[in-house]
Amino acid sequence: MGKIPPSFRSAIATSLVPKPASVPKSDPFPPKKPHGSRKKSTPRSKTQSPQNPTPLPAVRSQKALFDSPSLSDAKALFGSLLASPKSPRLERDFYNSVLQSYSSVSTLQDSFSFLNHMVKTSPSFGPDHSTFHILLTKACSLPDSGDCEVSLAEVHKVLNFMVNNNVIPGKATADVAVRSLVSVDRLDCAVELMKDLSSKGCLPDTYTYNFVVKSLCKGRSVSTAHSFINQMRTEYGFKPDLVTYTILIDNVCNKRNLREATRLLGVLNEEGFKPDCFVYNTIMKGYCSLSRGSEVVEVYNKMKEEGVVPDSITYNTLIFGLSKSGRVKDAKKYLEVMVQEGHLPDAVTYTSLMNGMCREGDVRGALRLLGEMSEDNGCSPNACTYNTLLHGLGKARLLDEGMELYQVMKAGEMKLDTAAYATMVRSLCRSGRVAEAYEIFDYAVESVSLTDVAAYSTLESTLKWLKKAREQGLAA
Amino acid sequence: MFPQRIKKGIVDSPKKLANLIDLVNLPSKVREFVGESRISRLGCFMKVWSYIKTNNLQDPSNKNMVNCDEKLKSILLGKPRVELAELPALIKLHFPKDPK
Repeated sequence: MGKIPPSFRSAIATSLVPKPASVPKSDPFPPKKPHGSRKKSTPRSKTQSPQNPTPLPAVRSQKALFDSPSLSDAKALFGSLLASPKSPRLERDFYNSVLQSYSSVSTLQDSFSFLNHMVKTSPSFGPDHSTFHILLTKACSLPDSGDCEVSLAEVHKVLNFMVNNNVIPGKATADVAVRSLVSVDRLDCAVELMKDLSSKGCLPDTYTYNFVVKSLCKGRSVSTAHSFINQMRTEYGFKPDLVTYTILIDNVCNKRNLREATRLLGVLNEEGFKPDCFVYNTIMKGYCSLSRGSEVVEVYNKMKEEGVVPDSITYNTLIFGLSKSGRVKDAKKYLEVMVQEGHLPDAVTYTSLMNGMCREGDVRGALRLLGEMSEDNGCSPNACTYNTLLHGLGKARLLDEGMELYQVMKAGEMKLDTAAYATMVRSLCRSGRVAEAYEIFDYAVESVSLTDVAAYSTLESTLKWLKKAREQGLAA
Repeated sequence: MFPQRIKKGIVDSPKKLANLIDLVNLPSKVREFVGESRISRLGCFMKVWSYIKTNNLQDPSNKNMVNCDEKLKSILLGKPRVELAELPALIKLHFPKDPK
């Protein structure tokens, strides 16, 4: 066999990486989702109504009415709304929606004045938290001036305004402010604001706190997150909870720092928390990214020992990890366990397993599994599944099957991934089926699976290699 | 990890990339075929390949071969038949070699 250019080799090495990425990706989210949904339900529910002014159809149609930032126009319009008999003017939602739509087109200052005007003209209207949160969101989404103190001045103005109107800023207020600040990339300001509020006795709730920790992990260094946690603990007695630790562990696992993850697990135990399914899933994912099959199983056994019930994410991660580290037999065994435990295997489960089978060279087995998953279990394969198989078929030089699968993908308008594309092009060229390689190239370009440059470079270097190989009598 | 690799592939060899997508002043023969005075190597390949497809120049009995018409012959060294596999190399001949 001719020597394979190094550029190919890297493609082979990376080939199976996209699938790994896809599985753990589905993993870190589920751990937080249950917390996350709770997170949203509490503080958000108070703000939801002003943010999406949908409560009344009449109001929704009015939203478009505010197209001019001019205050006097808005006042006039408000007057006419009040005069119209259809207006449900006693509802607070109505006033909030009007204010919301006006503030979305005007400045913060004018929104203030407009609110004052509304209060003055309709005495029945008592602004509550959600009303002020509209102004707060507006103040938080102003462009950053670079200096936290300066840019937080507007936020404080709203908060003071609230206090003056006898509405005490609460946990929901803090949450609204922090999330709006983070959403416009003003994380540092959010942290400042949180400390500030805490020092004034308005402690954030755990959802806000964990949201900030998560954002810090994502956008700043780990040490920033830790110093935030420490400061909150020492100065305001705010302790991290299990979700916080899950976030931290997830973060270090993504960076493949399993030693730190283990340390955090120890800290977590010291603090008196019992690791739950999410924590274990996260750690398991960490070992998967390092292809440490036996540690993955160890985590699973530990879970069982501790009486933590594994969920379908656990099994998906387990099967993925075992397939990735070449223990397909064990992976299959756990597929059975998974079904016994009443979890339905999904496309991710099967794709992980097929990936492992393809790596072992059992491509036909993987193809059989494809039939099994869709026919027996009613689980439809996705583009990732097909790409995994196409890659495997290309590698195993099963080109007729490969082309057949490719036609299915083409018919389904699925994108090819880099690995599958490159493998097929190379295998086809090597077997002298250059025209078919060109066809796949065309499809890759047409479906924008790859950039033109990437698709062409692969084709060109393959053909260059082919020429050499032919000269040495090594290829058809 | 995966996207990083791709990025690495392209970022690591800016010369190779430039060689592929930089516009190049064309010699007269190619200029006639392409209809433009400047084109990138990638663009040129795409033009030639789509010319072959639209004019059905692939040999029906062996799709790997191209039966050149007069116009195509003029830019492919005057060969009456070329292999698809040679196409990138033949086109590359019209473009300046990158200094090593």
